[in-house]
Amino acid sequence: MISNIISFVHNNRIIEIKNPDPNETLLNYIRTQLKKTGTKEGCAEGGCGACTVILCDFKNNQMNYRAVNSCITFLPTLQGKQLILVEDLISKDGSLHPVQEAMVKFHGSQCGFCTPGFVMSLFSMFKNNSKFKDETIKDTIAGNLCRCTGYSPIIKAAKSLKNKKKIDHFTKNENNTLKLIKKINTKSIAIFKEEKKYFAPRYLEELKKILKKNNDSDFLSGGTDLSLNVTKKRKDINSIIYLNSVKELNYIKNDNSYIEVGASTPLIDFEIYIKEYYPDFTKILKRYGSPQIRNVGTIAGNIATASPIGDCLPLLLSLNAEIVLQDLKKTKTLLLNKFFISYRQTKLKKGQFIHSIKIPLVENNIFKAYKVSKRFDDDISSVCAAFNFKIVKNKIEDIKIAYGGMAAIPKRATHCEKILLKSLFTEKIINKAKDALDEDFKPIGDMRASGQYRMQVAKNLLEKLYVEVKQKKIIGIYAQN
Amino acid sequence: MLKTKKEIFINEKRPHESGIKHVSGKAHYIDDIPEYPNTIYGAIGWSKKAHAIIKKMNLEEVIKSQGVIAVVTSDDIIGRNDVGPVYDGDPIFTKNPKYFGAPLFAVAATTTELARKAVLKAKITYKTLKTITTIKEALRKKSYVLKERIVKKGDALKEIQRSKHQLKGNFTTGSQEHFALEGQTAFVIPQEDSDFKVYSSTQHPSETQQIVAKMLNQKSNSITVETRRIGGGFGGKETQSFIFAAICTLLAKKTKCPVKLRIDRDDDIIITGKRHDFYSEYEVGFDELGIIKGLKVKLASRCGISPDLSGAINERALLHIDNAYFLENILIENYLCKTNTASNTAFRGFGGNQGMMVIENIIDHIANSLKKDPSEIRRRNFYQKKKKNITHYNMKIEDNIIQDMFDQLLKSSNYKSRQLSIKKFNAENRYIKKGISITPVKFGISFTTWHLNQAGALVHIYFNDGSVHVNTGAIEMGQGTYTKIAQLAAHALGLPFSKIKVSATRTDKVPNTSASAASSTTDLNGAAMLNAIYKIKMNLKAFVKRKYKIKNSEGIYENGMVKFKGKSFKFNQLIKEAYFNRVSLSSSGFYTTPKIYFDKKTFTGRPFLYFAYGAAVSEVVIDILTGENKILQVDILHDAGKAINPAIELGQIEGGYVQGAGWLTMEEVNWKSNGVLTTHSPSTYKIPSASDMPEKFNVEIYKKGINNESVINKSKTTGEPPLMNAMSVFFAIKNAIASVSNYNINPKLDAPATPEKILMSINKLKRKI
Repeated sequence: MISNIISFVHNNRIIEIKNPDPNETLLNYIRTQLKKTGTKEGCAEGGCGACTVILCDFKNNQMNYRAVNSCITFLPTLQGKQLILVEDLISKDGSLHPVQEAMVKFHGSQCGFCTPGFVMSLFSMFKNNSKFKDETIKDTIAGNLCRCTGYSPIIKAAKSLKNKKKIDHFTKNENNTLKLIKKINTKSIAIFKEEKKYFAPRYLEELKKILKKNNDSDFLSGGTDLSLNVTKKRKDINSIIYLNSVKELNYIKNDNSYIEVGASTPLIDFEIYIKEYYPDFTKILKRYGSPQIRNVGTIAGNIATASPIGDCLPLLLSLNAEIVLQDLKKTKTLLLNKFFISYRQTKLKKGQFIHSIKIPLVENNIFKAYKVSKRFDDDISSVCAAFNFKIVKNKIEDIKIAYGGMAAIPKRATHCEKILLKSLFTEKIINKAKDALDEDFKPIGDMRASGQYRMQVAKNLLEKLYVEVKQKKIIGIYAQN
Repeated sequence: MLKTKKEIFINEKRPHESGIKHVSGKAHYIDDIPEYPNTIYGAIGWSKKAHAIIKKMNLEEVIKSQGVIAVVTSDDIIGRNDVGPVYDGDPIFTKNPKYFGAPLFAVAATTTELARKAVLKAKITYKTLKTITTIKEALRKKSYVLKERIVKKGDALKEIQRSKHQLKGNFTTGSQEHFALEGQTAFVIPQEDSDFKVYSSTQHPSETQQIVAKMLNQKSNSITVETRRIGGGFGGKETQSFIFAAICTLLAKKTKCPVKLRIDRDDDIIITGKRHDFYSEYEVGFDELGIIKGLKVKLASRCGISPDLSGAINERALLHIDNAYFLENILIENYLCKTNTASNTAFRGFGGNQGMMVIENIIDHIANSLKKDPSEIRRRNFYQKKKKNITHYNMKIEDNIIQDMFDQLLKSSNYKSRQLSIKKFNAENRYIKKGISITPVKFGISFTTWHLNQAGALVHIYFNDGSVHVNTGAIEMGQGTYTKIAQLAAHALGLPFSKIKVSATRTDKVPNTSASAASSTTDLNGAAMLNAIYKIKMNLKAFVKRKYKIKNSEGIYENGMVKFKGKSFKFNQLIKEAYFNRVSLSSSGFYTTPKIYFDKKTFTGRPFLYFAYGAAVSEVVIDILTGENKILQVDILHDAGKAINPAIELGQIEGGYVQGAGWLTMEEVNWKSNGVLTTHSPSTYKIPSASDMPEKFNVEIYKKGINNESVINKSKTTGEPPLMNAMSVFFAIKNAIASVSNYNINPKLDAPATPEKILMSINKLKRKI
């Protein structure tokens, strides 16, 4: 069934929006149509978390309470989900939710403007984890900025939730909610609103058909980058094809030689899966963005944006990942290394979409990745580096090094690789490899870091790699905790 | 909790009065006020050039843009086209933009989105002019917003020369964006008689009222400004909110509709001023113990295009260049640099912290050059109790507790033993270095502009149920002033907290208020409120005396009872009886800060009623390969006097520290040489997030704290002072860097200590080894 009505569950009932403006943000809808003003606009770019709401879906036999930034979520992507706002946390009898209670008790609010966002992020943690560690707390609120408290009381409030009973009025209503979600989750969406079009296909075949007729469309996945065209550049996006509604693209497969990740798999799912194989990938993904971003953002999205500072990209390049592109007729597999052309330009053609990413699984290799930024969490890299190689009989083999933040595209350091390949793994050769980076990159400066700094860090990361591998331990300020 | 036998309310850890509303989304900020159906929405068009003459401004496409209802320019302003609080220089709309972001025009449209889209359609032809963006350029070209100032005590030059040791150097502290989570917002509703009701997210309703009135050429009594709460201020809404309230009112006047103007985050950061960055050059003479004998400082700040509050901010920097140290011979030249950047403004600390960083850096330099523990040098230079207790502006310090606090913290934080283990760690680790530092805080409390030290209040008691309504000039911006004022009122009247309502701050209830600033909000407004209650109590006393023939008895207000000698009343009963006997149950209150005076010409006097003190030990770790840094532990001991609400004070102390740490580490405002601001969103401008909080965050309120002056509850404010506890972070980083040279060389490090600055500092150090 194809419909132009967006249906979602809110407060135990189905709400329908007929033919909405596909460029309207969820935040705008909440504040101006639902007239609920608890959810705040802080930055309109997903950088502060004041607009955090919960989109709940049913996956792997359980309800997933995902925190998202409503300011950069397009309204139609609400289809088939349960929307939970800060106002909804209070029980019918007026009593506060345990999360809210803890925030009051531990003085977690001062000016209060960021508070609803924090409450929602903590609520998602409360719902999704039967138990949680202290690190989970910091990760949970990594995308929520507070300028008053210094976070200490908020963290105390979160810690106090460890011992709280998890049953709340959402738990009690879960069966009913699920029934409602299942009821509305049966349709594909096609919206034609004035000059704007929006499609949310449910199946690959449907996607192809839509693509055939609308090959000028922008693909929407997590939308954490695309949406800024609307909220910041104030442009219209006239035709959108939403990929995250295609269930066939949301998967992770493993045939022991490759891990294959479907294009619409959220980063947050991928980061859990990849940890076993490439722990540094998970480490970087945790710092890629806030949970609100990782809950919706995808690797394919990160690849398609082709940003020089996309944190997945150097990692994937060094792992020699492949990208599977599809068009109406055929599937094509391409080395990711060949995919990026120039600044934000890729080989993705009209009528083509990213189907999946294939990450080779290698044995006995060393894979290390580093991210250097001004702030630990939710910051854009000054330099991101990934190293993948083997040491066979003291010699370096199969080495692939890639950097982000060093050129107009995420790029392999081929000169540097050449120096290292088949060399003995010594300090001397590392120093030579450092010099080779001057041939690989001519980084530019911006508000994040100067070109000179980027180059020095890029070189120093080689040194760090060397020492860490030699000493078999992690050397860094975050290893001190 | 409140059903204890004796309800005292003060000194009690109460949650924020709006806490429940905050967590449930029910607290209304300006953007949340229910709108009339005919409400329309504004957006501002601003200059893309930092210095230019507008040759042509073609707004045809703007007017034609979807949903646009009206456009306003400077031609629509019949009164004063300026929002400068003290001096002119901050035009509402200009034809000669002097900074990137200067407002040129504004539109009102049917939705905020359409208004924001419309302003981008303006076709503006600029004739670009030369820009000055940095302090150094401005100094070179003698570009100043106000005349330079020289402060002199003793004979600094002579003493420097006569000293055993001399050092020279320069030092910079960076700017800082306020980044209140609620951006600049105004909502204006036209009333009858051409009056306007202005809701503004401001720290200063009274001045908003005056500025709007002047812009419209109307009387102040035609403008009412109301603010219930703001989503963070930090100084960024002391004057920077005016232009938005003004433009919003102008749009409301032109369209005769209610207008809301909610500024997009990027526009907000681009249009408004920030913290003053300061550059100093110093020359210091000291003896073998590290005691400063003479100090010469050239102190320059980036003020932006206009004076705004820069005069007072630089003055506070001059007044805090001593921090907690006795400086007998001092010569300071102060330059207020005019640059083609947004007019820099108030920010928590108000220049005080910038001044304090100058002297802390000098002390650190002295300690490193003598190869001594900086904490020792700090102690040796402290003001003392009976001698060495006169500041460079001739104020005698009567409440000095810094030595005691400092020593207590040195002990409780295990500073010395940690310092040793850090040295050991650094010797064993090649790439990761730790550092530790302890710094003191002495911060003067009062507005340095004498007349601002006044406040008014209005208190009503309703006869039917004895409930109390309080208004003051205080703005609730997260600092908990409403909670504390309600606690004070509940205590004074012996009533449960729930019977007190502190409601929105309005210019028609309490007039001529000062900004909620200078850490003085609760001190001033709480006292004014108590004065109002006192007056009502006088009315009640006179009535009781008259009716019950009770002589010379003060009523004791406790637990809902009022006790006079030989006669007790239930509070409600007394209030009811008083009403039926035609006794006034309402009063205004007023307060002025005693003792203070300051002669700006001679730079002498007593500008402050009292000082707030603090001390902090920070321990950090840095990565010498990348410059990445992290705070591992902080121990803070802070003076809140006899705290009204220790939970709120603790929140201020912790929050202030993190904000200060942001200022000195990761927060970096960046302009291109042509004056274009490149850091104007959370993606490019980083304020601390939860992971940046130290793992070990030990905060203690100084138990012996008491305010010797007659201040409400003998408390001390915790508004601005805790921010300066973060100075210890910066010097801990410097200490970690110094370890690279085995503590033999003083590292050159400017703030903010970003990873890049740290790495560059290490590079320089390595070159010297």
